[in-house]
Amino acid sequence: MRYILFLLLISTSNFLFSQAKATISGYINDSKDGEAMIGVKVVIPSLNQGAVTNTYGFYSLTVPTGTYDVEYRSGIYPVEIKKIDLTKDVKLNIDLGSNVQDLEEIVVNAKKGENTNSTKMGQIELEMDKIKTLPAFMGEVDVIKTIQLLPGVSSVSEGGQGFYVRGGGPDQNLVLLDEGVVYNAAHLFGFFSVFNADAVKSVNLIKGGMPANFGGRMSSVLEVNMNEGNNKEFKATGGIGAISSRITLEGPIVKNKGSFVISARRTYIDLIMKAAIPDSSPFAGSSYFFYDFNAKFNYKISDKDRIFLSGYYGKDVFNFSDRDGGFNAKMPWGNGIAALRWNHLFSNKLFMNVTGTFSDYQFKFGSQQDQFRFELASGVRDVGAKMDFSYFPNSRHIIKWGANYIFHTFTPTSVSAQTDSVVFNTGAAQKLYSHESALYALDEFDLNKALKFNVGLRYSMYHHVGEFTRFIKGDGISTPDTAIQYGKGDLIKFYHGLEPRVSLRWMLPDKSSIKAGYAYNYQYVHLTSLSAVSLPTDIWYPTTDQAKPESGYQVSVGYFRNFMDDMFETSVEVYYKGMNNLIEFKEGALPGDNVNDNTDNLLVYGTGRAFGIEFYIKKAVGKFTGWIGYTLSKTDRTFPDLNEGKTFAAKYDRRHDLSIVGTYKLNERWVFSTSFVYATGNTLTLPSSWYVQEQSLLFNYGERNSTRMAPYHRLDISATWYDKAYKTKTDPVTGNEIQIKKKFRSNWAFSIYNIYSRANPFFLYVDNDGDFLSGDFKISVKQVSLFPIIPSVTWNFEL
Amino acid sequence: MKSIINLILLSIVLFSCTKEVQIDIPGYKENLVIDGSIETGQPPIVLLSTTNNIYSPTNLDAYLEGFISGATVIVSDGTITDTLTEICTDELPAGTEEIAAAFFGIPVEQLVQLHLCAYISTNIVGEVGKTYSLKVIHDGKTYTSSTSIYPPKSLDSLFWKPQGTSTEFGFSWAILSDNTSTTDSYKWETKYISDLTFNKPFNPFFNDKFFNGLTFEFAYDNPMSYDDETFPEDFRGYYRVGDTVVIKFSKIGPKEYNFFEKKYNQLYSGGNPFATPTNIPTNIVGGAFGVWVGYSPTYDTLICKL
Repeated sequence: MRYILFLLLISTSNFLFSQAKATISGYINDSKDGEAMIGVKVVIPSLNQGAVTNTYGFYSLTVPTGTYDVEYRSGIYPVEIKKIDLTKDVKLNIDLGSNVQDLEEIVVNAKKGENTNSTKMGQIELEMDKIKTLPAFMGEVDVIKTIQLLPGVSSVSEGGQGFYVRGGGPDQNLVLLDEGVVYNAAHLFGFFSVFNADAVKSVNLIKGGMPANFGGRMSSVLEVNMNEGNNKEFKATGGIGAISSRITLEGPIVKNKGSFVISARRTYIDLIMKAAIPDSSPFAGSSYFFYDFNAKFNYKISDKDRIFLSGYYGKDVFNFSDRDGGFNAKMPWGNGIAALRWNHLFSNKLFMNVTGTFSDYQFKFGSQQDQFRFELASGVRDVGAKMDFSYFPNSRHIIKWGANYIFHTFTPTSVSAQTDSVVFNTGAAQKLYSHESALYALDEFDLNKALKFNVGLRYSMYHHVGEFTRFIKGDGISTPDTAIQYGKGDLIKFYHGLEPRVSLRWMLPDKSSIKAGYAYNYQYVHLTSLSAVSLPTDIWYPTTDQAKPESGYQVSVGYFRNFMDDMFETSVEVYYKGMNNLIEFKEGALPGDNVNDNTDNLLVYGTGRAFGIEFYIKKAVGKFTGWIGYTLSKTDRTFPDLNEGKTFAAKYDRRHDLSIVGTYKLNERWVFSTSFVYATGNTLTLPSSWYVQEQSLLFNYGERNSTRMAPYHRLDISATWYDKAYKTKTDPVTGNEIQIKKKFRSNWAFSIYNIYSRANPFFLYVDNDGDFLSGDFKISVKQVSLFPIIPSVTWNFEL
Repeated sequence: MKSIINLILLSIVLFSCTKEVQIDIPGYKENLVIDGSIETGQPPIVLLSTTNNIYSPTNLDAYLEGFISGATVIVSDGTITDTLTEICTDELPAGTEEIAAAFFGIPVEQLVQLHLCAYISTNIVGEVGKTYSLKVIHDGKTYTSSTSIYPPKSLDSLFWKPQGTSTEFGFSWAILSDNTSTTDSYKWETKYISDLTFNKPFNPFFNDKFFNGLTFEFAYDNPMSYDDETFPEDFRGYYRVGDTVVIKFSKIGPKEYNFFEKKYNQLYSGGNPFATPTNIPTNIVGGAFGVWVGYSPTYDTLICKL
C-alpha cells in the first residue's frame, strides 16, 4: 500500500501549481510505407521537454500554452521541425520522411543522447538494418545471435539460440512476439531463431531494471515486434540462401488505413541431406527441415481506434530411419502464436491497448521398432488477455497501469506405448491447469532536471487448479504410494506477491549520468532440462502445490557517458542478482511417463546468485559503427539435494565475455562487417573416477560443474554488395539524363563464419575403447566441435 | 526421453568433429567397490575393489591391483552368521576354473596365473524368502547392506520366431503374466545348452512399471551371437533355427533394480553431457559403491523351431 501512496503523491505533486496547458498528441508514421515509428522523440527545445512514441507510434506531450518549434527526431530521417501554436490541444499525426529524396545519404544517430538521458538501464534496442549487415551463420540473419553479442548476454553453446542474461537461466527470459509469449525461440535444436528477420520491425532487450508492465520472468524481456506492412503500395522482399529461402509480401488493404504483411521461410536441409548421404549410410532415411510463417494485418477503424492481428506458426520436423527400416522415428515440434490488439485513444492524454493472446508450443516424438510403437508428447498452451493504459498528464509524467491474465494448460509429458497385442500402462496423460494474473502501475517522472524516476509496483497472482492428481510417493517398502484427486476447477494452491520496481537516472554535467535500478520478480513457469544444452526435449512445467514459484531480485548501478557530440556512447554497469526456488531434476531422475507419479516429484529446489560488471562502448554514427562489450561475472547455485549441498558454478558461468562488432560502410554499394567473440568455457560435470562391476566399466562423477571447457572464440566477417539504387535514362522531353529510382533492388550478402576455423568445444565426454585383457584399453576425454569455417552467400531482393 | 536425447546427440555428432583433449577433472576420491550377490541354491560371493582416478593407467595390471584382499566380509541370514572365506584364483579347486573365469571375465589360462580373490561362504546357501545382511570391514571402515531372495516368477511360455522375411534367424520370445499386487523387477540371462555360464543380453533388467498385472509378449536378443563369426553380419543378435538355449529368468528387489537400471542407463548413454550426470545409486551404507543383490531364478529351455 505504501508504494501506491508514494506513487499517488509523486504523480499529483506536479498538478498542484499548474498553469494553463495544452497537449499535442498523435501518431507518427513512416512516409515511405506507413509503418508506425517506435521511439521517435518529440521535443520542444525551448522548454527542454519532450515525449517518445510508444510501440504503436503514439505520443502525447502536455506543456504550457504558447508557440513552439516542435522537433521530431526519428533517427532515420533528418529532424523535422514544426512550428505549432499551442493555445489549445492539438492532434498532429506526422508522416516522417516525406521531404527526403534519398534515404541512403542520411547518416544520423538514431538514439542520440538516449544513452545518458533515459531511465532505461540494461535496455538495448537493436536496429534491424544494422543486424542485416552483420555476419550471419549460414546466411541466416538472426536477431538472437546479435543479442548474444551484447554485454551481460551469453549464448548457451556453439550456435545456440538459448541465451542467458546476467546469470539467469534460459527460461527466465520473457520472449514476446507482438505480445504473444514464445516458449521455444529456436529452430534446428537451437541453431536458428524462430524470428524471420524480414518480418521483424524492432527488437528490444531489457536485461535489468524491468519496468512493472512486464512480469512473469526473472531475468529479461525480449520484445520482438513484427512489421505492420506497407499501407501505401504492394511490395515483395525475399532471399535465397545456402540452407533456406524466404519471401515477404506486404501491401495496403485500404490505402493509408490498413495493411497486411505475410512472410514465409523454409529450409531445404532435407534435400541437401538426401543428396549428400549415400543410400548405404545408416542415416540414409533421415531428414530434417523447418518452416515458419508470419502474418500481420492492421486496420485503422477511426482516428481513435486501430486493430492489429498477428500470427506466427513454425515447425521443425526431424525424421530418422535406419537402413533396413526396422526402426524409424519422427520428431516434430513448433510454436503457434496469435495476438489480436485494439488501440483506443480515450483522449489525447490517455491511450489504451487491449490484447488477446494465444500461444502454443508442442513437442512430439513417435517411433516404431518392429511391432513396438512409442509416442511421447509435451507442450504448453496459453490463452490470455491484457489491458494496458498509458496516461500522459504532463511532460514530466508518464503513468501506466494495467492488468493481464493467462490461462495455462501444461502437458509436461504424455506417453503411450504398445505392441500389436498389448497396450502398456504408461499412466494417464497429465495436464496441469493454472491461472496467472497481475495488476501493475508505474510512473516515469522527472523530479527535477537532474533526477528522473521510474517507480512501479506489480502484484502477481497464481492459482494452480484442477483437474489434477497429486501422487505422494511412499518409500516403496513400508509406506505405500497415495494419491489425491482434485476435480475440475478446484483450487489446489494459491500464490501471490508484490513486485516493486524502481529505477532512477541522475544527470551529471558533461553528458554523463548515473543510473540505478531495483527489480523484484516472481516467475510461475519453469523449464526443466535433463541436458546440458537447450533442446526441444526440455519440459515446461508450471508452479504447483509442490513446485513453488521462482523469485528473485536484481540491483544494478551504472555510469553512462557520451563523448564527441554523442558519437561515442559508453557505460559501466554493476549488478547483483539473487534467485530463490530454482529447480533442477534430482540426481538420477528420468522423467518420461506418468505411472503413479508427477514430474515435480522428481525436482529439487535451490538458490542462485549472479554478479558482475559490464563495460560497453559504442560508436553510433559515421561510416564506421560498432561496439565493444565486455562482462566480468560469476554465477553459482546451491541446492541442498545436489552436489552434497555444496555451492557449484552454474553451467553457463562465464568469467569473461568479450564481443567486438564493427560495420564499415565503404560506399553505397559495399558494406563490410566483422564480429569477434571470446568467452570463458562453459562448465560441465565429467566422471572423476572409474570402477568395474560385473565386468562393466562404470563412471563416478565428481563435483557438479567442476570442469571447465576451453575458452570459446571466433571471428566472423561479412560483405554486402548492393546493386545501384538508380538507373539513368534520357528525358524524352529535355534530352537530359535523369536518375530514376529502381523498383527492383537486390543485394548479395557474403559471410564467413569462424574464419580461422577454431575448433570450439561444444561438449566433452569421457570415452573408453579396447579391453583390459588385450592391453589396449584406454580412457580419454573427447571434445566435440561443431562448426569449422563456413562460408555462405545469400541473395536478397525487394520489389 | 533419454532415447530422444540420444537420437539428437547422434544426429549432432554426425556433423561434428571430435578430438582428444587433456582437461582437469577435479574431485577424485578413492572409494571401496562392493560387488556381491547371492541366489537360490548358491553361496554368497563378494568381490571387493577400489575406484580409480579417471586418468590412472588402464592396463590389466592396474585393473587387478584394484582388487582388495584381506578384508573381513560377513553375511548373515538371520540365523547363521558366516565370515566369508577368501578364495584366490591361484588356488581354485579343480573343475571350478571355467566358472571362475566366467565370473571374473578373464580367460582360464590367464586367470589361473593371477592372484585374484573373492569372498565366498561355505556355510550359507541362498533360500527363497530369506533376507541376507552383509557387513564389510576394510581399512577401519564398516559397510553394510541387505538383500532378499523373493519368490521366483516363472515365464508362461517361451518361443522362437523368425524375424521379418528370414526363415533362419529370430529373437527369443516369452509370455509373462505379471502379478498385480507387487512391484516386480526381473533379470534375463541366456546360454546355449552346452555352455557353462549365462550371458546377458543388451539390457537384461526390466520391471513391471508399464505392464503391472498384464499378460504380455516380449523379445530378447542373443548376446552369444555378437562375437560369433559363423553368424552373418546382418543377423548378429538373433538365434538360429535349431539352437537350444536355456533362459535364466530371475526376480530381484526394487533397490537392487534401481542400481542396475541406472547402471545400464549410464552404459548406453556413454556419459554424454546431454544427459544429466548421474552417479549410480547403491544399496550399500557407509560410502562404498556397488551392489549387494539377491537373485531368485527360474530356468526354461527353448528349442528354436517353428
